This record gives sequence, C-alpha cells and structure tokens, in this order.
Amino acid sequence: MHLGHAVDTFAGWLSGSPDPAWWALGLAIALLWIAPVLLVVFPIAAVGQIIERKVAAAMQRRIGPNTVGLEGPLRFLCRVLLFFLPRARQDRALATFCSLPVVRPLLHLLQRLGLGQLVADGVKMLGKEDIVPAGADGAVFRLAPYLALSGAFLPFAALPFTQHIVMLEVPVGALYAIAVSGVTVMALLMAGWGSGNKFSMLGGMRAVAQLISYEIPVGLALAGVVLWSGTMDLHAIVAQQYRPGVFTLLGWNLLQSPFLCLLGGVLFFAGLAECQRTPFDMAEAESELVSGFNTEYSGLRWGMFAMAEYTEMLLIGALLATLFLGGYQSPIGEQWIVSLPVWAETPLHLLLFVGKFVVSLFVMVWIRWTLPRFRVDQVMRLCWLTLVPLCLLALLGLALTILLAGGTTAGDAYGRLPARDRLDLSLPGHLLAWAVPLLLGGALLWAARRQHGQLHPHLRQLTGGRP
Amino acid sequence: MTVEAITPSGERMQLNLGPQHPATHGVLRIVIDTDGEVVANCTPDHGYLHRSIEKIGECVEYPLFVPYTDRVDYVCAMNANLAYCLAVEKLLATDPATAVTVPLRGECIRVLVAELNRISSHLIGVGAMAMDLGAYTPFMHGIAQRELVNDIFEKLCGQRLTYNYVTIGGVGFDLHPSATAEISAFLDKFEVEMVRFNQLITTNAIFRERCAGIAPITAAEAVAFGLVGPNLRASGVDWDLRRDEPYGIYGQLAVRVPTGQAYAGRHGVLGDCYDRYVVRLLEIQESVRQCREVLKILPPAAAKANDPQGGWQADVSKQIRKPPKGEVHCRTEAPRGEMGYYLVSDGSKIPYRVRVRTGSFSAAGIFQHVMRGIFLADVVAVIGSFDIVVPEIDR
Repeated sequence: MHLGHAVDTFAGWLSGSPDPAWWALGLAIALLWIAPVLLVVFPIAAVGQIIERKVAAAMQRRIGPNTVGLEGPLRFLCRVLLFFLPRARQDRALATFCSLPVVRPLLHLLQRLGLGQLVADGVKMLGKEDIVPAGADGAVFRLAPYLALSGAFLPFAALPFTQHIVMLEVPVGALYAIAVSGVTVMALLMAGWGSGNKFSMLGGMRAVAQLISYEIPVGLALAGVVLWSGTMDLHAIVAQQYRPGVFTLLGWNLLQSPFLCLLGGVLFFAGLAECQRTPFDMAEAESELVSGFNTEYSGLRWGMFAMAEYTEMLLIGALLATLFLGGYQSPIGEQWIVSLPVWAETPLHLLLFVGKFVVSLFVMVWIRWTLPRFRVDQVMRLCWLTLVPLCLLALLGLALTILLAGGTTAGDAYGRLPARDRLDLSLPGHLLAWAVPLLLGGALLWAARRQHGQLHPHLRQLTGGRP
Repeated sequence: MTVEAITPSGERMQLNLGPQHPATHGVLRIVIDTDGEVVANCTPDHGYLHRSIEKIGECVEYPLFVPYTDRVDYVCAMNANLAYCLAVEKLLATDPATAVTVPLRGECIRVLVAELNRISSHLIGVGAMAMDLGAYTPFMHGIAQRELVNDIFEKLCGQRLTYNYVTIGGVGFDLHPSATAEISAFLDKFEVEMVRFNQLITTNAIFRERCAGIAPITAAEAVAFGLVGPNLRASGVDWDLRRDEPYGIYGQLAVRVPTGQAYAGRHGVLGDCYDRYVVRLLEIQESVRQCREVLKILPPAAAKANDPQGGWQADVSKQIRKPPKGEVHCRTEAPRGEMGYYLVSDGSKIPYRVRVRTGSFSAAGIFQHVMRGIFLADVVAVIGSFDIVVPEIDR
C-alpha cells in the first residue's frame, strides 16, 4: 500500500471534518510520515561535517578529530534519564554501563571516528552568542539562514526514498525540486546584503551571479532526463530505470546514452557550484573574502548555513541518484529486492539510496580537498562557455538519438507502480548511439590536448618525469 | 587592461584587506579601492608588526643580537642568523688584529643549515600560496616536510622555529654523530615527496590558469623596484648572491640559478605569479643538491671547537669586545631574497647602528604597481606569490 496516498485520502477526509481535534491528529500523522526523511537526511547532513574532517585529515596525512569522547553526553543523558536516582548511583550506573564488554569498544570506536567532537561542536554552537552586527539589516540578516535551510530541505520532499517513502508525489517533481532549491540564492543574497559587511556583500553578489548561472546547466541536465523518460514525475523516472534480470543497472539512465552520461557529469559539477563547494566556493572563499556571505554569522545561525551546505550536497547526490543511477534501486538483483515484503524491502532500498548519495558526498569532499578554487570570471566562463553549450549539444544529440533510433516498448511493471511505455533503442541503435558520440568526443579531446601543448621541461622534471 | 576600461562607472568601494585577514600572512593591511571585483588601486599599510628590532640592536652587545635576528624572519631564522653573523665577521675583518677565520666544518654546517632552512621556508611559501588559492592539502603536505626539517634542527640546536644556532665565528654546536646520515636520509625521502607535491598542485590545470599571466613583472621593472631573490629571478634576471658574490663556502659549490621562463604555458607571461611559484620549487631542488654537495665535502669533526679544519666555532670572545671602528654592509641570499645587515661601529662592544634590509620589504614596494586592474581574488595570489613575511617588512 502506498503510504503517501493513504495520508492524502486521510487529509482529504479530514478537510471535510470541522473538528480541530481531527486536524491535530492529521498533522501528527503527517509529521510522523515526514519523520523518516528528516531522520535520514538531517543526521547525515550533521555527520557530513565529521565525514569531511575525517576525509580531509586522511588526505592530508593527519588523524582528524579523535580525542573528544562521548562521556560528557552520556553523563548528561544519565542525569536526565535517571533523574530519580541520587547522583552517586547515577554515576555508578553509568560506569557499569560504560564498562560493558560491547559498550566500551563501541564508545572507543565512536570517539576515534570523531563523533564526540560532533556533539561537542554542536553544544558549542548552541552556546555561542547570536550576534547581529550594528550595521546589519536585522530582519533580513535573521531570516536568511532559515531560507537557506528550507531551500536545501524542501526538494527532498519530491524525491522517492523508497517505494513507500515519498512525501510529495507530484507529476512535476523534477520541476518542483529545481524550483524550490532556487530559494537558496535569495538566502545567500540576503545574508550577504543584510550583514552590513563589505566582504559579505561581495560574497552575496558572487553567490547570486554564480547560482543563477549554474541553475541553467542543472536545468538543462534535468531536461535531458525528462526528454528521455517523457515524464517529470521523479518516481516514474526511477521506476522506468528498472529492468528485470540480474544486472539491473543496465537500465540506469547513465548507461542509456553517452549524452545522458555527459548530462550526469554536468549535473554533478554544476551541482558542486550550486552548493558552493570548492572549486566553486566563490561566495565563501576563505582566503579572499574571509568567510564571504556568512562572515558575520555566529552560533546557531552559522550552524544553519553549514547544515544547509551539507544538505545541498546530499541533495545533489540524491538528484544524481534519482535521475541517473536508478534512484533507490540496487545495481544488481533488484528483481529480488522488490519482491520482498514491505518491512524488509523499505530499509534495504533506503540504505541503497542513502549509500548512493553518501558516495557522492565523499566525492565532493575529495574534490574539495584536492583542487584549488577558480576565479570568479573563470567560474562564469566555465558555466556559459563550456557547460551550457555542452548541455545544449547533449540535448541535441539526445533528441537526434530518440528521433533516429528510438522506438517505444512496453515497460516493466515495477512494484506498486504501473507499467509505462518507455524508449528503447534497437541493438544497432544502441551501437550507433554509443559509437558516434564517443568517437566525436574522443576526437575533440585529442584536439584539445594537442592545442593545450606540452609542459615545460622543468615542470616535467618537477613532477618526476624526465627533463 | 586599464582599470578605466573595466570600470566605466568610476564608483569605488574601499575594502580593508587586513590587518587581520586570512590571506595576508600576518598583520599586513592593504587598503583596496575596488569597483566590484576589480582592484582599482591598492595601498599597503605597514607597521602593525613593528617591534623596534633595529633599535634593540643599538642597545645590546654584538653576540646578544643574534636571537633578535631570528625574529626578523622567523620562517628562515637560520639564514637571518647567518646574515647578521657574516656582517659582524666582515666588520671584524676590517682590522687584521680582530679578523676571525671560521673553521671549515663550521662553514659547511652553516651552508647546510641555511639550505635546509631555505627548503623549509620555500615549502611555507609555495604551500601558503596554494592555500591562498583554495587548495589546503598541498599546504599540509608541505608543512609535514617542514616538520621533518624542524626535527633535524631541533636535534641540532634544541629549537624548532627561532634557532639562534649560527654564531659569530661559526655555529653554536657541532653536528651530532648521526646528523649527516639523518639529513641525507631526509633528503632522499624529501625528493620523492616533492614529486608528489608537484603532481598534486604545481601542474594542476586550475592552479596554473589561476596564476598564469597574473601580475607579470618585466625584468626592467623588477630591477627598478629593487626586487630581490626568487621574485627577481622569476622575472628572468639571472642574479644570485651565492653564485655572483659568494660568501662562506658557496664559492666552492656549483650554484645553479633557476630563473622564470613563462612556465605557465599558453597564458603564461614571464614574471607572472606562476613563475614566482615555480622558481621557488626549482630552488628547493637546487638546495637539496647543494646540501648533498656540502655533506660530501664536510670535514670530520675535530676534538677542539676552534680547530681550523674540523672545528665549528672560532674563539671570538676577545675580538668582539673591541671591534674596529667603521661601517660595513653585508648581503646574503636568504630565501626571500637579499638579506643585508648594515652595521656601524664606534669601537665599543655595542653597535652604534644596526640596519636590516630584507626581501619582503622590497617585494611590498611593488604591490601597488602590480595590483591595479586585477581581480580581488588575484590579490591574494599575488601576495602569496611574493612570499612575504610581515615581520620582515616591519622589523
């Protein structure tokens, strides 16, 4: 049974009822229903910071946060939960609990993973003074972090987490996701403008120019998938990528055409720019603009911006997974998973989906700690002179592929979703669709390499080659 | 590209880069007139780190000033020590009665530590420049290697940053017995690590494009503004005091001088940020080679400290109390370029005047000239490429 549908009908039934008590019940159920999504995305975004610090440490041959233990939070919990006991007995209970054979190594492991640091940082952030600078535009300054956070979280509503966890099953899911994520631009502009700080303002202006520009390649990449699948319904797009058989991943959009492959890559890089990550972190640019748009923020408001950044990273990963990597489906043996009962299938699918965007989070972190930052003009040039033309080219190629080689076949029914017709290329069509773009792309790459020229012999010697 | 061409509106905003700013490498203030992202004018404002080091020089005896030279350029304190000690020795040498001869082993150790310190200083320079451009990891890898050099120095003299190791007449302590083996083991590993460092950042396309053609300085400009050291050589001027006016035992070593050659390729210009960066990396290679050469000619340690061959410290206690009257200027090639000490002596045991001339000071002079019309983001790249150390500017 489709849970979202049930809530819809329940809410419709409620709307006929004038009794406010029923409304409260409806609201409670609605909250319960979005809980899984909040429970999945929120913690990962929170842990994102620790993941980032640990990965960065590994790349820089450091250890990263590993000294803050979990004794403090545990003691706090102990005081709260065992409030009816005297302190000495609380402490004794805690000591007994911590020395349990399973708990002790677990605590040690969590400490080494930096989870204690996460708690400590969170508490520190809560305790910090919430400063609104004298020259700031108070209302705008205060509102910005909330907007940033909502811009990051709202698109998740349209994403199918599993067959049964979809908060908002709208037929224009793709459009919805990109539309509401646009709120972030406003938030960054407000933060930059409202802070009354020149560095913040520069950061805000950069953010606006960059985000608005990069929404175009993101939109075009989405358009490519929409063109291919013939629907904007994100869940239908996921269902369409299902193929029965062992190698389910053969149905993924990424593997359907090199043009879709290209669009997937563009979505990832434009997405990096959308969430202001190195090499596109123009708006923050620590070494240039101190901290850019969030220079003046402190405490929880700053925390909201940080949270929004990690959530957006997850969002890009989730979009990439949904549109190109089969959503929550397993790369192999999906047929078997989907036939499982709901209680077994849902967690498996959830795990797969989360796994996909955590991997993309890792790649984003990896890129951040490897590459230097672009300059403002280079970022804009990359968008308008490289990514947008590439997208248009890919769209054209995709349209041509569909026109020349496409035919529709009856799709496979997937789980609770009805079977829809889908595009299918014949075998020669497939070969042509891969061979022509790959040959052309290879030739282009080769030409670009030749034009780029050789490294100076001294540089070759510096990088270990022969002078 | 003139500012007027980019900014027709003429509306300017004044931006204070510093004194506290993550990219100014210390308390340096640069007042920038910007129109949006473009720098219309920039005025460096120095003096936030002034500590009267030159004045202190007029108040303490000659040997007691050595620790203060550490603080002039704390990133390469060995070279600062060496420059001052050479100046005092030059002053003593003006009178045959007070002249001192540094033992050969002492001279070798001096060059060894100076070159090791040049390596560690350049690691900070190139690493910090990469960090200014948003790449943190190379900086951390550079720091990791610098730490190994610091380990060597710590074993040598007990300090990791301000060494106070080079003394008038030699060096403070002899190398410990395992030092030469440790240093050559470090050099071997270090070369491999540097290849990895360069693969990570130096030939990175984004990094190269960021630095290519930014703030190019012609050879004539570089000479006119008095640039020194790697900043001068990046503009193609083939000038290195270690080769052209050798001091110590540099005359016996083969000093090869890397110069800028528009390394950035397609968009590169001679003397741009990328050239300044690459010249430092090539100098690191040269320093490694020189360290190896010194290790080869290093005479074995003698029992006595003032042994002319295997000693490390000539006895200068008598001479230093009655130096000859007169004035000397002694210049050396420090990592940030010529570091010169000008000493005036009135014959007493305290100098009459000490004046320090440093590379960062010369570099700061050209900021205003090269930063017009570039982007705000490039300002930090330019500051980074000159590898300034602020106490060197203010002293």
